[in-house]
Amino acid sequence: MSNATLDGAPIALEDAYQHAARILACAKFPVVAGLGSDAAGVRAAILLAERLRGAYDHLACDDIFADLDVTRSFGMFVTTPNEARVRSDVVLLIGPGLTQHWPALFERLALDRPAYFNKDAPRKLIWLGPKRNEAKIEGIDIETLAATPQNLPFVLGALRARVGGRPINLDGATAKKVESCAQALKAARFGAVVWAAAALDGLTVEMLQGLVTELNATTRFTGTPIGARSGASGAVQVSGWMTGFPPRTGFGRGYPEHDPWRFDARRLVDSGEADAALWISAYDGEAPSWTREDLPLITLAPKGAGAKRGLYIEVGRPGETHDAVELAQETSSFVLRRATAPADTPSVADVIREIGARFSEDVPC
Amino acid sequence: MLTCLRGGHVVDPVNGTDAIGDVFFEDGRIVARPQGRKPDAEFDASGHVVMAGAIDIHSHIAGGSVNTARLLLPEAHRAHKARPVETPLSTAGWSTFQTGRLYAQMGYTTVIEPAISPHHALHAHLELSDIPIIDKGFLTVLGNEDFVLSSLRDNESPNVIVDYIGATLEATRAIGVKCVNAGGVDAFKKNARAFSLDDVVPEYGLTSREIFQRLQRAVVQSGIRHPLHLHMNNLGLPGNVETALATIDASQGLPLHLAHVQFYAYGKEGKNGFSSAAAQFAEKINASPNVTVDVGQVMFADIVTISSDVMKQFNSLPGARPKKGVIFDGDGNGVGVVPYSYRVSDFFNAVQWAAGLELFLLTNDPMRVFFTTDHPNGAPFTTYPEVFALLMSADKRAQWLSRLPEDVVALTNLPSIKREYTIYEIATMTRAAPRKLYGFEDRGSLGAGSVADVAVYKNDERDRAGMFRNASYVFKDGELVVKDGAVTRYTRGKTLRVKPTYDSSINKRLDGYYDKLYGLPRGIFAVDDDALPAPEAFAEVPCRS
Repeated sequence: MSNATLDGAPIALEDAYQHAARILACAKFPVVAGLGSDAAGVRAAILLAERLRGAYDHLACDDIFADLDVTRSFGMFVTTPNEARVRSDVVLLIGPGLTQHWPALFERLALDRPAYFNKDAPRKLIWLGPKRNEAKIEGIDIETLAATPQNLPFVLGALRARVGGRPINLDGATAKKVESCAQALKAARFGAVVWAAAALDGLTVEMLQGLVTELNATTRFTGTPIGARSGASGAVQVSGWMTGFPPRTGFGRGYPEHDPWRFDARRLVDSGEADAALWISAYDGEAPSWTREDLPLITLAPKGAGAKRGLYIEVGRPGETHDAVELAQETSSFVLRRATAPADTPSVADVIREIGARFSEDVPC
Repeated sequence: MLTCLRGGHVVDPVNGTDAIGDVFFEDGRIVARPQGRKPDAEFDASGHVVMAGAIDIHSHIAGGSVNTARLLLPEAHRAHKARPVETPLSTAGWSTFQTGRLYAQMGYTTVIEPAISPHHALHAHLELSDIPIIDKGFLTVLGNEDFVLSSLRDNESPNVIVDYIGATLEATRAIGVKCVNAGGVDAFKKNARAFSLDDVVPEYGLTSREIFQRLQRAVVQSGIRHPLHLHMNNLGLPGNVETALATIDASQGLPLHLAHVQFYAYGKEGKNGFSSAAAQFAEKINASPNVTVDVGQVMFADIVTISSDVMKQFNSLPGARPKKGVIFDGDGNGVGVVPYSYRVSDFFNAVQWAAGLELFLLTNDPMRVFFTTDHPNGAPFTTYPEVFALLMSADKRAQWLSRLPEDVVALTNLPSIKREYTIYEIATMTRAAPRKLYGFEDRGSLGAGSVADVAVYKNDERDRAGMFRNASYVFKDGELVVKDGAVTRYTRGKTLRVKPTYDSSINKRLDGYYDKLYGLPRGIFAVDDDALPAPEAFAEVPCRS
């Protein structure tokens, strides 16, 4: 069973679907935003945006583009968590909060053990800019390179400079530490950099990929990115094969156009360019970050995340109430997540199908 | 509903047909001329050529690698046309939807994606499911993963590899086995920067030669009809024809498919140390009946190279056009995505273009030489009509040659080759031969019982490219999907897979291996019905019994 509310007051589900269809069909330029869903939900949302000639965006796009903009302007070395686990003899962790972004990080990469293909030598771990007390794994030494989030890019730049044999201008103790880390990276046989796009900006990601590129001149080094929240990595992939582009893509002209500024849902809503929004956040009910409050709004979110304003339709959590296909952080591939607590709450794809079935050409607007 | 295509020039090499005639189909299948019945629908095919739907045996159309290329190159695929009402996203540049539409418009009805890493099989199936109209399938990439390499190193029974292939193809729902730079992808993880046929994979003590030979035998033993699909060592390097010739010599007289051989048809002659060795290569292919090849023709266009040969792709990064790329060290196997631009004014690119055409024209059996551009590596599949036109006209080739750098023209045999492919030979290499190569029993032919995948082209001797670009009619499973070069509606095609029998006790061993190596249940990588948007849309390609 699902439940729906309009401005906080319960309404029948059928009425909610009708009302949602009316809002979207009457809009001149609706935005399908949030996009926090499994592959089927994202797919349905993009097809809906296309049918409406609206735009679509993902709630974690700022984090997505920290990596993706580097990929498409510079390039990227990446590997899977599996390969990092079984092969990496040196692991460079970058930035604070890595285990917040990926709680299973240490366990999945088996950082407390030598790599399977490198049995004789313990793994060397270097952490640049961890939070206080974060760089601790039972029974293993982690060499830390202290940095605040503000000066992390500079320390990283110094590290890259030393890997490339270029001079740096740092005080004696820090320079010495940077030097020893640079030598450790160069001595790796198959090293891996771990970072979370949510904790770094694009220029820093480019700097670390530049470091990896230079290391590959003489040895092998690669990267293990930690994807952004709310199914962002999967949404990027689904969007990629459906339209050729990542989210922040619009269909106003009848074909997909990608523009990270133009189709930023927050900007579209706050500027008034969008005149209706479908907000999807099926994992945790995160609220939109725009400030405008007079926009016709439909929210698809799980139980307990009911929106006080506008139309709210409850959806199930992917992989919890229903089976879901997601891009898994632990494998960096699409996998099937079996429902852990099956319920008949509709999925995002279900709800979009119901709304879409209620469009008619003669909706009274 | 009985449909008749009336009075077309029917070209069906499987049945030796090359004459004016009628083609009938009903309920999605070709039928013999029915006695005493009037067709419910009739299409005038006079002045047209009628063929079975074309089959592309090697085209990178789906999966994580292709998607990486899309995301790497937003500048390469802007859409400019609004989509027609009935076909969502059909004009979205390089989308799965556009892929299905563009193939169908050329009369292609089956396309095989050649390079899916086993752990990314679900992703590939999700994309294939979003390619409308055409049938499709993929090859699973094997041969650089530790399980295979250690089994070979430890001299285990050959049955282990056979069973591993069976289990992997079942889990991935693939149509065959490909091996890329056998051992070289693993060696690259150990910092090797070059890897040839007799180089040894560090820590396994195996040469590339041994790996591919044993995989080749295992594929034969598995009963899969498609032979091992091999991407050889040294792709793209000057003088690599020696590797190709040695690989054929090592092929044990067993079936072997060599992928995109144009990229191996290079000598070291001339002032640039780079020349076409296509003539020598073609002679070897002609003399080796156990070997099939696809060409991987280069055309002058902006492209992106997508390859599981991670070492080669890494080495290509400095020459990327534009200068960026993705190098993915995957589980066992991997991929590299590097954009490139073939330019008519570039000496090396012009030699590549000429070498591909030489291979087409100097090989003598269109049943063993397949029509590909290794899309998008040599050229986008949308250039096929131009390539057909070049094969069918020596004059057209002469026109193109006049635009090439003079020093290239001097280094190729192309000007002296007058051969022109006939329509019948084109149909052989794009219909009859793929049918045999993949062991299809239901397609590539217009014989009764085949699926009613039919392409009808207006016969235009002056504009072969236009003829093949815009089919007049295309029927998929008997339904009209293309009219006058435009897709009129989407249908859902099938995904083709094989199910070789194998000793399933290997599964227990593999489960334990995955747990020990990755700390993960192996099932997480398997393609389950519940993960698929359309689990019913699969069809099985038979194995040898």
